[in-house]
Parts: sequence; structure tokens; C-alpha cells
Amino acid sequence: MSRRYDSRTTIFSPEGRLYQVEYALEAISHAGTALGILAQDGIVLAAERKVTSKLLEQDTSAEKLYILNDNMICAVAGMTADANILINYARQAAQRYLLTYNEDIPCEQLVRRLCDLKQGYTQHGGLRPFGVSFIYAGWDPTRQFQLYQSNPSGNYGGWKATSVGANNASAQSLLKQDYKEECSLKEACGMAVKVLSKTMDSTQLSSEKVEFATVGKTKEGEIYHHLWSADEITALLKEHGLAKKEDTETG
Amino acid sequence: MDSLVAQYSRPAFHNEGYSQEEQQELSQTMPGDISLKFALPPVAQPHAWLRAQTDDHANPSCPIKLAHGTTTLAFRFQGGIIVATDSRATAGDWIASQTVKKVIEINNCLLGTMAGGAADCQYWLAYLGMQCRLHELRHKRRITVAAASKILANLVYSYKGYGLSMGTMCAGVTPQEGPALYYIDSDGTRLAGNLFCVGSGQTFAYGVLDAEYKYDLSEEDALELGRRSILAATHRDAYSGGYINLYHVKEDGWVKHGFNDTNPIFWKTKLEKGEFSNVTSELV
Amino acid sequence: MEVLLGITGKDFTILAASKAAMRGATILKSSDDKTRQLNQHTLMAYSGEAGDTVQFAEYIQANVQLYTMRNEVELSPSAISSFVRGELAKSLRSRSPYTVNLLLGGIDPITQKPHLYWLDYLASCASVPYAAHGYAQYYCLSILDKHHHPDINYEQGMKILRMCTDELKRRLPIDFKGVTVKVVTKDGINEVEYDDSKQVISA
Repeated sequence: MSRRYDSRTTIFSPEGRLYQVEYALEAISHAGTALGILAQDGIVLAAERKVTSKLLEQDTSAEKLYILNDNMICAVAGMTADANILINYARQAAQRYLLTYNEDIPCEQLVRRLCDLKQGYTQHGGLRPFGVSFIYAGWDPTRQFQLYQSNPSGNYGGWKATSVGANNASAQSLLKQDYKEECSLKEACGMAVKVLSKTMDSTQLSSEKVEFATVGKTKEGEIYHHLWSADEITALLKEHGLAKKEDTETG
Repeated sequence: MDSLVAQYSRPAFHNEGYSQEEQQELSQTMPGDISLKFALPPVAQPHAWLRAQTDDHANPSCPIKLAHGTTTLAFRFQGGIIVATDSRATAGDWIASQTVKKVIEINNCLLGTMAGGAADCQYWLAYLGMQCRLHELRHKRRITVAAASKILANLVYSYKGYGLSMGTMCAGVTPQEGPALYYIDSDGTRLAGNLFCVGSGQTFAYGVLDAEYKYDLSEEDALELGRRSILAATHRDAYSGGYINLYHVKEDGWVKHGFNDTNPIFWKTKLEKGEFSNVTSELV
Repeated sequence: MEVLLGITGKDFTILAASKAAMRGATILKSSDDKTRQLNQHTLMAYSGEAGDTVQFAEYIQANVQLYTMRNEVELSPSAISSFVRGELAKSLRSRSPYTVNLLLGGIDPITQKPHLYWLDYLASCASVPYAAHGYAQYYCLSILDKHHHPDINYEQGMKILRMCTDELKRRLPIDFKGVTVKVVTKDGINEVEYDDSKQVISA
């Protein structure tokens, strides 16, 4: 039945569904988990990096977390190649806004621009939707720290804590259990590693398998974003007793 | 396919806001299929070229002499709007006509006046009349004077720098606005007001009109004031003269109050009221 | 001889614009309003080439209002100033540039700080505590230099404005028919009753 309708993104099935969009969502649910937690004084994003081969160069920069502009970063779940296109688009949109208005684009506007692009690919014939979900973390003067999530259909929403990718249902329920309204960024980081350790296949985490990034405010009140180095991640894992044994021995 | 998506997804965000072209397109109310594409002289600056050909002030032997020179006036008062004009058209020193209709009846409730290039005014006020009628058909109600005048203002503005020469007034009464009067000129200026005089004789008309104008004027006094102001201008301005064309716009449409020769009116004014005492009737 | 004046203070921005609409040797209207409200907290006053002024002001107004509708957030005065400057710069390099000079006054809806921007048709943009355009600059800037302080209250601001308009009446050779005065505060934009009837004669 579905054969007739699922090859074209623009056409509804008799049940009123867009199969290509659902397939894209399915593809994402196999990707490495990514999660974000909104704290009082910042936001943490964490993502699982799937190690496919020992031969693969591991330490080459982030592949799940990206900087969009001075006040926003995002985590990716899904097809990295698709994500690159969208991230490039978002960076350009942010810069164009900066050029016109001489101030950073409000977070929700940037999210919406990306989502409008994504939406376009669910409506025009012969095109495949982007197989990516994003979690965005950012700050703007109107709404302070904000966390958003978007998916291939072009829907987006604001969250206090959320996750995408493999096992996102269990991650989500763990977050719901553990989330505290008035948590600090440090506590949020702790929560993030804990949730990640439970949803990932391997029980032992290492800096090769996870990525971390935070958005926060410096003592001077300036907004910073920071993609964590391997050492910083290892230190955090150690603190929560989740680091791999070999790691602790070899230092 | 990619172009399809590009076409769909770009315009909303490609540029912040609207581009100038897009704005101009929006501001022009559907020129649509009636062609507004005029042939332009094949020179870099049509405006400068046109002026060189037509400006008899700077160049008395210029090849084209446009019909110019006018006195027109309109004012709002308690009983509606008075619109009055002279009827002379001059091309350089030459009086081309003494019987020009400078009040243009856009429809039975809207009047336009004509000063500047006669052809420009006639053409664009006729065009405005068409747009007003189309507005009526589309929206099932008469266009407001504000909207009509804005169509004209946006239109002439889009031709700014191409040498249009118009100074016009739109007068009308609508249920929404009551009596409304707008001044529009080819610079693109559009002003709402109680009283305007336009043309080479405007200063003379203002002189008489400003002194005696009150909003509470009776209908009879208002008509007389309009007539007298035009007479003053025709008397002093060499480029104004002929007949006095007088209109009164009321709630249920305009009423014409004659197209009368200035000459008998002048002598009547002089002899009965003793005005124009500098003019002697006897040979000395 | 169009007059544009702007004064900021502790928690307000005042804009004043002359009321005369002149064409050639004739004053066509003596109650012209040369300002446009862009959003709740930003006001723009304009002068320059006939036709261009209103067209440009309404173009900016429409775009700023469109932004507000699309995003349910207002643009800040500083963002608007950058946008307007960009539009002027674009226009300047086009085939038919807008010849418009502007003052942009407002209150930042977040910080609640007053802002005033001076822009001209060459697309200069400067953030200033007080400003004037045209011949008014020559008379008023010295007065403002002497009497303005950043923390003045509204009454003091109006007093300085009165000094400026009095001086203009005294020394400008052409009557500008008084000014319309509008004030931007955190609560919005209001027109102020401003008595222009007083004759000022030089000593």
C-alpha cells in the first residue's frame, strides 16, 4: 500500500501521512544520542559519538556539536552530511542578520529559518527531506538562555531538557525524572553524563565516545560558548565515576 | 527541482525586508495589462534631455513648447469643497487655448485639477479615473480620496526624474472621510489640507483667498471667494486667463457652477464694487 | 529650511520637526507632520527631497512593522538604525538614491535606555545625545552643547528644546511654522502640546 505514496515527499498517503518524513525520523532514531539541558546559568549539550572503526581518526574536531554564531551552538542527530548543509545555511543566515541589524539574531528566529528550509523539503516533489534533528542552545537579550529542538518535518519547540537520536525515549524519561528547575550548569553537566551513560550501549564512557559543549555567562556578564576538550570531558567523567578504567590508569 | 525549492524558500529570507524593486512593485496598484511602458529617448538621462528640448525659460528657441501656466485652487469649507480654475493654456509666450477644462471629473464624486504639463495631467488623471472605477468594481465601494490621491502620488513618484510636470489637487466627499482635499505634485509630494492654490498664479490667488477664507463660509460666499481668487490671478498673471471654471463638491457629488468668461466678471467687479481701481475705464 | 531636532535625557527621547511644507516660495501647509512611528518605542523624523522623504519613511515603517508581526518582538532602536543605514547605503549606490536626512529616536525596550541616531542621505549614522539637521544645526548645537546633560529629566529637556526653537524663530530668515514635538518613553510615543504662538524678536 505504502509503496505508491512513500517515494514522493509531497504526497499524502490515504491515511494522511508523509512517509518520507517518517522515514527520516526513523533514520534519526538510529543515530547517536544527543541531549541538552537548560540550567539557570547556562546550557549543556552532550552527544554520543559512534565509533565505527579503530582505524578512524578520532581526535579530529567535533562531529556532533557545532557553533552557529557567537550566541548559539547546536547538537546534531542524523546524517552529518545533511547537517553540514543546514549548519552552513544557519551560519550564513546569522551573519546576514548581523550585517543588517548589527546585533546577533534572536535564537528562535534562527531556529525558525532552518525549520522553514526543512519544511520546504517536505512539500516540493522529488526532494528528500533533511535527515537531521537538531538541539539548539543559545542566549539572546530578550529571552536569555534557550533550548530548542527541531526535526526533519520542520517542527520545532522550546525545551527545558530534551534528547534526540537512539534511545531518546529512555533518555527523555530519565531527564524528566532528574530535571530540577533551579539546577546550575554544573549540576546539569552531571545530569547529562549520567543520562548519557545509561542510554549508551557501552557502560564505560570516554572522551572519544562523547562530546560536550556549554553556553554560559562569564563573571563579567559576557556570553560564551565552549566546545569541551578531551581532557575536560575526561575530568568530568572521572568526577562522576564513569570514566573507562584504562583511561584512569594511563592518565 | 532545486530551482523549484530555491524559488520557494528564498524570497522570504534572502534579504531582510523588501527590496526597493519589490516595494515599488507593491506601491504600483496593478498597472497590470494596460501597458505603462513608455518609449524613452535613447539617452542616458531622459529628464535632462527632455528639459533641454522643452525649457523655453533657459532656451527660448527650444523645439517643443509644453502647455504650462495656470491658476487652480481648491478649499474645504463647512458646505463641502470649492474647486476653481482658469482656462488658459500657454506654450511659451503663445496662448495656445483660452478654453481648457482644468477641472477633471474623475467620477461623480471626485474632482482633479490640472496645473503643469497639460498632457501629463490629462493622461494621469484619466488613468486615475480608471483605477478608481476598478477599485469600485473590485471592492464594491467607492474609493476614498486618501487612497485615490495615494495611487496618483505613488504613480508619479515611480516616474520621478523622468520629467513629469504636474501639480494637482484631488477633491472629493466620501462617507468615511467627509470632504477631503489632497495636493499631489510630480515630485511625489502628497499633502492633505484645507486650502491649496497651484500654478503660476498661485500667489495671487492665495493673496485673496487667505485673507477672507474661513471654514464657516456660506455656500454662496465660498463660491464667490473661489471665483474672485481666480479673477485676481487672471488679472495679474500673464499665464492665467480665459474662463473661470467653478465647481462645488458636496456629499452627493459635485455640482458645476459655470464656465464663465473673466472679462465681464472683471468689469462687473470693478464697476459694481469699485475694486481694481488701478484700472481706468475712461480714456485720459 | 526644514528643522529637525532631537534630545535624549534620563529616560526619554524628544524629537521635534518643523511644521511647514514648502514648495518654491510657497508654504503649502503649516501643520505638516514630518515623523513616522516605526514601532512602540521608535520614532523617525525626516527632511529632504520632496516625495523621497515620505516614500522612504513609509518604506522603513512598513519593514519595521513587518518585522514586528513576523517575529512578535520589536526591533531595538540600534538595530533599526543599522537597518536604515543599510537601506540608505544601498539606495545611495542605486540609480535613483533617496535624498533623505533622518533622526531616529527611541527607547531600548530591554535596557530602557534612550537612544538617538543622526543619519543623512550619504548613509552616515551616528549615535548622539542630541542632534539637529539643516540650518538648525548652526544655531542649536551650541545651545545643546552648553545646556545638555545625559541625566536631564523631561522638564529640563523641554526647556532646552524651547531655547532652541526660540533661537530659531529669532534668527532663521524663513518662518518654519513652529514644530511638532513627540516624546518617546518606556510607555510609548506621545505627541506633546507645544505652543508656537509666541513671537520671538531679536534684541
